[in-house]
Parts: sequence; C-alpha cells; structure tokens
Amino acid sequence: MRKGFTRSVLIAASLAGGLMTQAALAADQVTYQLDWLPGGDKSPVYVGVQQGFFEDEGLEVSIASGRGSTDAITKIATGQADIGSADIGSLMAAKAQDDSLPVKAVYSIFNQAPHAFFTLEKNGISELTDIEGKEVATSPFTSSNAFLPLVLKENGMAEDAVNLTKADPGALGPMLMNGGTDAIIAWVTNIALFESQADATGNKLVVLPWSDAGLELYSSSVVASEAFLSERPDVAKRFMRAFDKALKFTSENPRAAAEDLHSMVPEVDVDVVTAQIDDTMELVINAVSERDGLGALTRERVALTWDWVAQAEKVEKDKLDPESIIDRTLLEAL
Amino acid sequence: MSPKLPDGKAGQLVLMSAPWLFFIALIVLWELVCRIFELPAYVLPAPSAITAAFFEVEMSRWFTHLWATLRVALMGFAVSIAIALPIAIAMMRSELLNRTLYPLLVVIQSTPVVAVAPLIIVLMGSDDPSRVLITCLLTFFPLVVSTATGINETPPELIELSRSLDAPTRRETWQIRIPYAIPHIFSGLRVAITLAIIGAVVAEFVAAEEGLGYFIQFSTSFFRIPQAFAGLFFLAVVSLLLFKSVQWAQQLFFPWSLPKKKR
Repeated sequence: MRKGFTRSVLIAASLAGGLMTQAALAADQVTYQLDWLPGGDKSPVYVGVQQGFFEDEGLEVSIASGRGSTDAITKIATGQADIGSADIGSLMAAKAQDDSLPVKAVYSIFNQAPHAFFTLEKNGISELTDIEGKEVATSPFTSSNAFLPLVLKENGMAEDAVNLTKADPGALGPMLMNGGTDAIIAWVTNIALFESQADATGNKLVVLPWSDAGLELYSSSVVASEAFLSERPDVAKRFMRAFDKALKFTSENPRAAAEDLHSMVPEVDVDVVTAQIDDTMELVINAVSERDGLGALTRERVALTWDWVAQAEKVEKDKLDPESIIDRTLLEAL
Repeated sequence: MSPKLPDGKAGQLVLMSAPWLFFIALIVLWELVCRIFELPAYVLPAPSAITAAFFEVEMSRWFTHLWATLRVALMGFAVSIAIALPIAIAMMRSELLNRTLYPLLVVIQSTPVVAVAPLIIVLMGSDDPSRVLITCLLTFFPLVVSTATGINETPPELIELSRSLDAPTRRETWQIRIPYAIPHIFSGLRVAITLAIIGAVVAEFVAAEEGLGYFIQFSTSFFRIPQAFAGLFFLAVVSLLLFKSVQWAQQLFFPWSLPKKKR
C-alpha cells in the first residue's frame, strides 16, 4: 500500500511538474527481493540492470538484499517487493502451513539441489557412504539440515548416522580446516571460497554433492507475489524476459557478470564472484536444463521436489498440491 | 589501603599514557600470538592483516556505510530523547501514569530486540522508520529510568521551599527537578548513545543495503574475516567517539553538573 502511495505521488508530481522525460514516465518500477546478501549466485539480476536488459523492456528494477528464503517470501507476500528469489522448497513448506500465502513460483534458477558435504582428502571420506559415524558441522538455519536424514537414508544409512553439530556459517570453513570436524554441510555455490581456505592450509578439498546422492529437486527459484502477477501481468512478463536474458548472459560471460555485480556492490571481489558464478552455473545449466529448457518448472520435477520437501519437513504429502504454487504464464510468454 | 597514585608531573604523564600503553601492548601481544602460532586469518586475523583489510576498502565506501549507521543511530537517539524525557516527567507527576506505564516499559525492555526486529521489519517495511524504531526500543528505557531517578532524587527541602513560595508545578519541574536530574540524564544519555549504535547494527542485520553492521555481515558471508574485524573496530571507534561527544556536550552546556575535577 505504501509503495502504491509512493508511486502515485511520484506520478502526480511528474504530471504536475511536467519535468520528467517521457522515458522516465514510461519505466515501470519493479522491486526484486534477494533471499540472501549479494554474491555470485545472485548476479543475474545485477547483470540485467547493468547490461540494460531491464531498461530495454522499459523497467526500472531496484534490488533489496534478504536474510534467507522465508524472509524473502515474507517480504514478497507483504508487498515490500514484487518478485524475487527464494528456495522453492521453502515456498512449498510455507504454503503447506498457510494456504493463503499469495506467492507463486514462476521460474526455476537451480534445477539441482545445491547441498553438499565438504571434507578434506586426508579425512578419508571419498564417497557419500564414508560419512557414517563422522563428525559433521552445519549452520543452524540452512535448508540443508532438513534433507540430511533423507540423503543418509537414501544411501542406506540410519537417519542419525552422523554426529551433527551446529555452528555459525562463517565458522564452518575454519572448523573443517582446523580439524574441528570431519566434514561440513554447505552449498556448492561456495566451492571456490572453501577451496581457497583449503589451499591456504595446504589441504585438498573434497566435495560430495547431494544431487549425486539421489536428491533430485528444484531449489532456488524466481517467486512473485500474486498481486504483481495479476495486476501488472505485462510488467511481469517483460521482467521475466529480461531476467532470462541476464541469466544466459551470466552463464556465458561469468567475468563480465562479476564486474556488473562489482559495479553495483563495490565490496565484492571480481575474482571470487567469477569463481562463484562458475560453481553456481552447474546448478543452472546442466542435463536437466538441456532436457527441459532454462527456467522450466516441469510437472514431474515439481512433484518430485514436493516429495522430498514433504518428507524433509515431515508434512503429509496431501497437505499441498504442488501445482498450486506454480504459475507458468511467464515461462510460456518467454 | 587505597591505591597509590603517582605524584608530580611525571606521575600525571604516566596516568595519562597508561591506557594507551596498555592498548598498544595488547595489540602487540595479539600480533605476536598470531605470528608465533601461525593462526590462519579466518581463525583470528592479526592486527596487521586487519589494518591492511581496512585500507583495501575505499574510503568513500567506509563513509557510505558509516553514514548509514550513524544516521539511524542518531535519529533513534533523538527520537528516544523526545519520547523518554516527557514520559519520565509525566510519570513523576502522576502516580497513576507511573503505575500504568512502568510495567509496560519493563516488558518492552525485557523483550529481546533481536527477536522482535524481524517482526518490525515485516510490519513496517525495511526502510528507515523501522530501523529507527528498533534503535529506540533499546535506547529509550535507560533514558526514562535515569531521568525519573534524577527527578525523584531532588532534595525534598527544595521542593518544600518552592511549594511554600507558591511556585507553580511548571517552575518546580523546570527550575528545580530537571536541573537536579541533569547528571542522571547524562549518565542515561551515555548508556543510550552506545545502545543506539547497537540498535542500528541489529536493524542492519535484519534488513539493510548499507551500514557498518551490514558490511560486517556481508564480509563474513564471503569469509573475509579480517575485513569483518576492520568493520568491527571502526564501529567500536565510532561508538567511543559518540560516547565522548555526550561527555563533551555535558562539559560544554552543563559544566556545573559535573564533579569539580572533571569540569
């Protein structure tokens, strides 16, 4: 409501003043909500701004950082943002709790699970089943934790086959390098960061992605508020078109994408972000995207995702029709 | 036995430089520990690494972040003063208000702001007003309490005297009670200004695009621990300067409210 008010004030002011140019009047404002702080995996939207993909579609996009998927979903639901990125599993879990949540998934960014075990070569864990009985550290609020028992079970181990400790995300890398834990749980988007820590201590990093262990699902996705989709469908379509272009550009030009992010968020390091983008793109462009298309949300994989999420969140499967959280109109208009 | 103070000019010099020498010794010790035990930067960065990280960030970026934090902290501080002083005065004047408001104030104070902050952001949006509110929640309680204590500690003889002279309550408040409360108000202000910085940082941890708290969080998200430490030190220095500024303000505007040797 407040945003609507600001917008109408802006429009009124520009009409009254007659000072704003035609182009500025025509640009539609869109607020994009990230689910975490800016980083390599979030770069496509920055690329869209810097490369002018949004401008070409007559859009003016502002980007807000977030503090986790539920934070992003809440902000989109309450109208603080129009569209943004969030874990589709979090959206499903939230929707199963509260059917009235006015948010829909419109485009998949990661078509694979980003979760993985990270360990050091000297720890003697070379395949997933070696993890049995080991010390594993994870951060308290990551969505990975819910999937851990399922991954262990899928690989023939007991659900509590590892000794799990929880620590701040920033402490996980140091704990692993110091020998404070045998392995940690983190996202594959951060392989390069952990690798540099391992190199600094003369170790060799080993990554065991859970997607190789049978965890087949959609993860980070573009989600939009129902109000945005129904009240400004044309703006939404133009946004998605530009975003799709930006995602392709990011995968083809990781360094240029990193520079685009750097020019809007000067604190990020271009080399680090380039490496992050390379790691991230494995989750975006792969056999699944080859088969289904970039951004696709296929019925089968959506259902499969809900299977995993329902088990992980310990929710009855019939609490939610996973199709009810999907809106494919933007994908169809690409 | 009371501690023996050094006398004379030399003694004064020792007294003046002692905190600095102690501080420098700590830094040197820290640097040595990091070097001797070869601690990696992500465990505990050495002061030299922190300094280097500080200068790696452009000064203009530091000022952008500093201004973002300072703006919210000072706005929250100002709003707190504007709310806390009238509340304290009203509570002093009316026993009914005192009884009604005090429990509520204690409830607000005992609720962890960190837990409420995300709710405030959801309710009020992620703009300045919610950040200022989060800051106020931390700062205004010590101000109310210290002001109310000060007002109540006015010597009863003076109050009786003013009443016997038929002075109106307004004059009793402004010319007797408030001046007596000044030292208490300032001790409340000193506590509040450091809490204001904490409040602004808490708000930035929940929702912000800039600010020193955001910068620290951002640095750790990239595992840049020395840079996070640099932000932390910058924050501490700012907090210290603000604390000092409150003292200077007291010396400048209310020198009579200080003990003689501190004027």
